[in-house]
Amino acid sequence: MDRGVIGVSLAMILGLTISLMAVAGPQGAQAADIVKIGVMAPTTGPWATEGQDMVKVIEILTEKVNSSGSLKGSAVRLVIGDDGGNPKTAALAAQRLVTSGVLAVVGTYGSAVTEASQDIYDEAGVVQVATGSTSIRLSEKGLKRFFRTCPRDDEQGRVLAAKVKSLGFTRPAIVHDNTSYARGLADETRDILRKAGQKEVYFDAINPGERDFAVVLSKIKAKDPDVIIFTGYYPEAALILRQKAGLGWNVPIIGGDATNNRSLVELAGQAAAAGYYFVSPPGPGDMKSAAAQDFFKVYEGKNGGLPSSVWSVLAGDAFSVIMDAVINGAEDSAAVATYLHNTLKDYPGLSGAISFNEKGDRVGEVYRLYRVDDKGQFVLQN
Amino acid sequence: MAHFVEQIIYGLTVGSVYALIALGYTMVYGVMKLINFAHGELFTLGAFVGFFFLVTLDWGGVFGPALAIGLTIVMVSGSTALAGHLLERVAYRPLRHSDRLAAVVSALGASIFLQNVIMVVWGAQYRAYSASLLPQVIWRVAGQSFPLIRLFVFLTAILVMAGLYLFINHTRLGLAIRAAAIDQGAAKLMGVDVRKVIAVVFIIGPALGGLAGLLVGVYYGQINFNMGQLYGLKAFTAAVIGGIGNIPGAMVGGLLLGLLETLGDAYVSGAWKDAIAFVALILILVFRPTGILRERVAEKL
Repeated sequence: MDRGVIGVSLAMILGLTISLMAVAGPQGAQAADIVKIGVMAPTTGPWATEGQDMVKVIEILTEKVNSSGSLKGSAVRLVIGDDGGNPKTAALAAQRLVTSGVLAVVGTYGSAVTEASQDIYDEAGVVQVATGSTSIRLSEKGLKRFFRTCPRDDEQGRVLAAKVKSLGFTRPAIVHDNTSYARGLADETRDILRKAGQKEVYFDAINPGERDFAVVLSKIKAKDPDVIIFTGYYPEAALILRQKAGLGWNVPIIGGDATNNRSLVELAGQAAAAGYYFVSPPGPGDMKSAAAQDFFKVYEGKNGGLPSSVWSVLAGDAFSVIMDAVINGAEDSAAVATYLHNTLKDYPGLSGAISFNEKGDRVGEVYRLYRVDDKGQFVLQN
Repeated sequence: MAHFVEQIIYGLTVGSVYALIALGYTMVYGVMKLINFAHGELFTLGAFVGFFFLVTLDWGGVFGPALAIGLTIVMVSGSTALAGHLLERVAYRPLRHSDRLAAVVSALGASIFLQNVIMVVWGAQYRAYSASLLPQVIWRVAGQSFPLIRLFVFLTAILVMAGLYLFINHTRLGLAIRAAAIDQGAAKLMGVDVRKVIAVVFIIGPALGGLAGLLVGVYYGQINFNMGQLYGLKAFTAAVIGGIGNIPGAMVGGLLLGLLETLGDAYVSGAWKDAIAFVALILILVFRPTGILRERVAEKL
């Protein structure tokens, strides 16, 4: 019994000491202000590659900001929240970031995941700059502190439909994967093509995470399309390409920006991936500005290769525009939001000039058409 | 008609992989009345061990495709069997005499642990088996295309299952496993070494699951650390449908689930295929609560 009492009091003392240390820590160590920036990213789960790249990109930019002295004595500290690529986890991550007192949050990748966190940030008045969430409705809710550095699906749908037409295809089969991103893009593209008098011969979904698409392919083949439009993500796109090649069928496939990932070629196999088209913001290798070249040199030195896709670079840009607001005197979330809405014009980001409209969407033409060549390289078309 | 036959073949390939994994769930449940939640991760482990030998060490280039696949099957089954054995020693044996719930929690913990170990060792990104590992031979029959490799997956699974069936029904150890499944206490009194039976079950089940992982890797070419979740869930369902604890039941359940999914996909809608398959499964369970084969051959395990 006595032992129990001693144990409990020891534990209490220990706990108290730790909490005191936690309070004293930051103030004692660094007298200057700490600017906390949240990063909500899928560092685990199905999109873990994307999430881990996002963190790597932002960490490099953070070091640069902190060592440049442009914050006049204060320092940026990142608070990482893992959303697991999953809306439920995202809500928890968002709450944790909000309670840790972040000024703004960068993230996240998936649209459904971002959507689960939007209201939490909005109620807390925290600025959120999404990085890979292209679903239209995210910025149609009238949220005053929501921004994104990626373009929207309707923009992408417009470009996708235009490219399908300019490549001369007339009998498209459309496949999505029921995620809000892929469904949105598929609907948008279908509507535009229909208005142009090109009715699709097939429209259906696959289940993400599955591996066998033989049935879907045999159904599509029976409709004899001249192109397959696939709006889902790269793992499934790779499986479809590989299984299509396994059937000896060489109909071209055109995809959206979620297939802009260098793993695609490895997963599909070089021969099967050759000839695959996709529309996407320019990939890391095609960002030619001096700032981007410098950044990727540092990134390659640290991580032994470029980021695997454009999305983590857009996360870097999201971080940079927030920093630009802070450097220019924004001290709270409201000021950051006002700055991004009104003051920021053509900020030189890694992915090009960045400005936001009144909905928080990025302004300007971002999408390009790519084709995978016989060597597995993503080649920018015109 | 040719279209229908094609769908049936697709369904049987998908189903044979489910069946292989389902055997691991059903054997462990039969003997220990425990659902080994970590089984899906052993399946993943098999896929990654296969990746190590076929891609990292490039056995395909060293030994030629046929010998490489043969050797890799042995290495994969061996290492997942070893992992399964360790799992039983560490996570389940110490809990043999404790609460059933403790074992379930331990199983869940083992599952999360293994999944994270695989993620740390091989990374979170998708990994690819080379597409040129096996020659791409395509048969064309009546205007339909059948990749040969699909047949390879199906036949391997069927051969292994036939071997298991003979082992369970025609050897002394198989008899001991069946006896322990019916009544552990009585089996012990009859001189059956139940500890050994459990150890054997935890070697065979994971070996089959690991082999399934290898087949998925070779055929689909794409593996990642959490692939075991979906396959594990499907295979567990297959085991329940066939009658959990029943070995032929797992085989039938796996093939049936594969067929249901495929036909639902082919003739109704791809977006609804899981819903269709699972509604059918609920109906089966409503009318046969113990699964398809459980009642008929319950006394035979």
